[in-house]
Amino acid sequence: MPAPLPHIEDIAGATPEADWRTVASTLSRYVRARTSRADLVEDVVRETLSRLVQQSRVQKLVSVYALGFRIAASLLVDHHRRDSRYVAEREEEPASQAPLPDRVLAGRQELALLQAALAMMPPLRRDVLVRRRLQGQSCAAIARELGLSPKAVEKHITRGLADLHKAMRGDGFARGAAQ
Amino acid sequence: MKRDTEIAEEAAGWIDRLNQPAFDAAAGPEFDAWMAASPRHRETFADLQAVWESETLAHALRQPEALVVMPSLRSHVRFPRLRYVVPGLAAACAALAAVLILPSVTTTAYRTGVGGGRTVVLADGSRVDLSGDSELRVQILPWARAAELVRGEAFFDVRHENARTFEVASGTTQVRVLGTASNVDRQSPTRTAVVVYRGAVDVAVAGEHDLVLRKGDAAHVVDGHIAAQPRTAETAPAWKSGWFEASNVPLGVLIDKVQRYSTRPIVVRDRALLTLPISGRFRISDTARALQAVQVAYGVTISWGRRVIAIRPTDASRRR
Repeated sequence: MPAPLPHIEDIAGATPEADWRTVASTLSRYVRARTSRADLVEDVVRETLSRLVQQSRVQKLVSVYALGFRIAASLLVDHHRRDSRYVAEREEEPASQAPLPDRVLAGRQELALLQAALAMMPPLRRDVLVRRRLQGQSCAAIARELGLSPKAVEKHITRGLADLHKAMRGDGFARGAAQ
Repeated sequence: MKRDTEIAEEAAGWIDRLNQPAFDAAAGPEFDAWMAASPRHRETFADLQAVWESETLAHALRQPEALVVMPSLRSHVRFPRLRYVVPGLAAACAALAAVLILPSVTTTAYRTGVGGGRTVVLADGSRVDLSGDSELRVQILPWARAAELVRGEAFFDVRHENARTFEVASGTTQVRVLGTASNVDRQSPTRTAVVVYRGAVDVAVAGEHDLVLRKGDAAHVVDGHIAAQPRTAETAPAWKSGWFEASNVPLGVLIDKVQRYSTRPIVVRDRALLTLPISGRFRISDTARALQAVQVAYGVTISWGRRVIAIRPTDASRRR
């Protein structure tokens, strides 16, 4: 789906190294994967692009892509928050064990694939992923607590993520054997 | 032509690098160049980033079998050196280690001593009031504003910006501030209290369980669970005038607060006492008054030594 690009003419040449059209299609691929609401994709990408353009006028962006992904992620959270506001409105209630909408709707199949991929991993790698993703620990803290070198921690994260990616694309888990 | 696996690992390396608290500005153009180099790079990164941030992954990781690692496994799964090196990433992690160990240029730390509070104005114009015996680390970057409450309690008056949110981490609790006045109290590594006095914040635990708090709302995060608390009509946290309002809070939390103002260590002689639930309004800036109130209301005995203030259960049979 071609993403709508407002003001593209205005900024042509302002950030020559950034091809906004490419940035937009990359972001919409990401947003489509993040949300089950097709109607959000266009809005989020358009808003992200317009903020990126605004920012790039004010200052030289350190990284167009890094900022783009961050803005898109935070807009997605905003949309989910708007959806869950009704839940939060009921006061005094022990709050929010409620899952985000994308979690409810994300297919069970996806969950099963990820679980299978995680089960195939060495327990240590799984532990590193849990610490990084769920507990938000830094590389250095994980290395310290597990008695690993920082390099080993990175390797677990990158190879673990690559495995998850592979699982989601459905090309199996034969990776360990292939090495 | 690169193999898919190779691209996936490079993309994963970038995801990890971008998620570091200290993203090196010099890496920005490098990342953009990597993304610009090939549509396969962009697609893989977009897919992987979506997987990494998805609720589904968090859910899968939360399964019990994924949570345990036996210490004895460590030596078996250690990788041979230099076998799967992702270029650039190793350097990033090493740099990060340096940032965390050595004083960093990009992170500013603010500390207060026992009894002393402090007000700081951050580079973005936001104001923070730190309570006694507290520590806050702040990082203002072109694309993000982040603070970590390492210890203690802080009141944030954050300047609203559309593109840059202001995030406060306290243990596993993340508070996303949207231009507002709010108080974050790190009561223990797994216990954080948040109160909003103006505007709205979004509270999350390890990226999960969102809850939006608006003006007057309060919540506790205890061991990874968020619970709404009674609303407040106050316009500033009680600690700023030396008070603490407890509603079913473990005694240990109150003691920590009193300790922020007391130069003599306060020692609780009985572990069970630390979890004793207490309620009430305590003048924490006045050590004697606060502890006497506890003594009267909860039947504990306090001995005022020259070096140490000791608290123990009054019931002699439990003392042993």
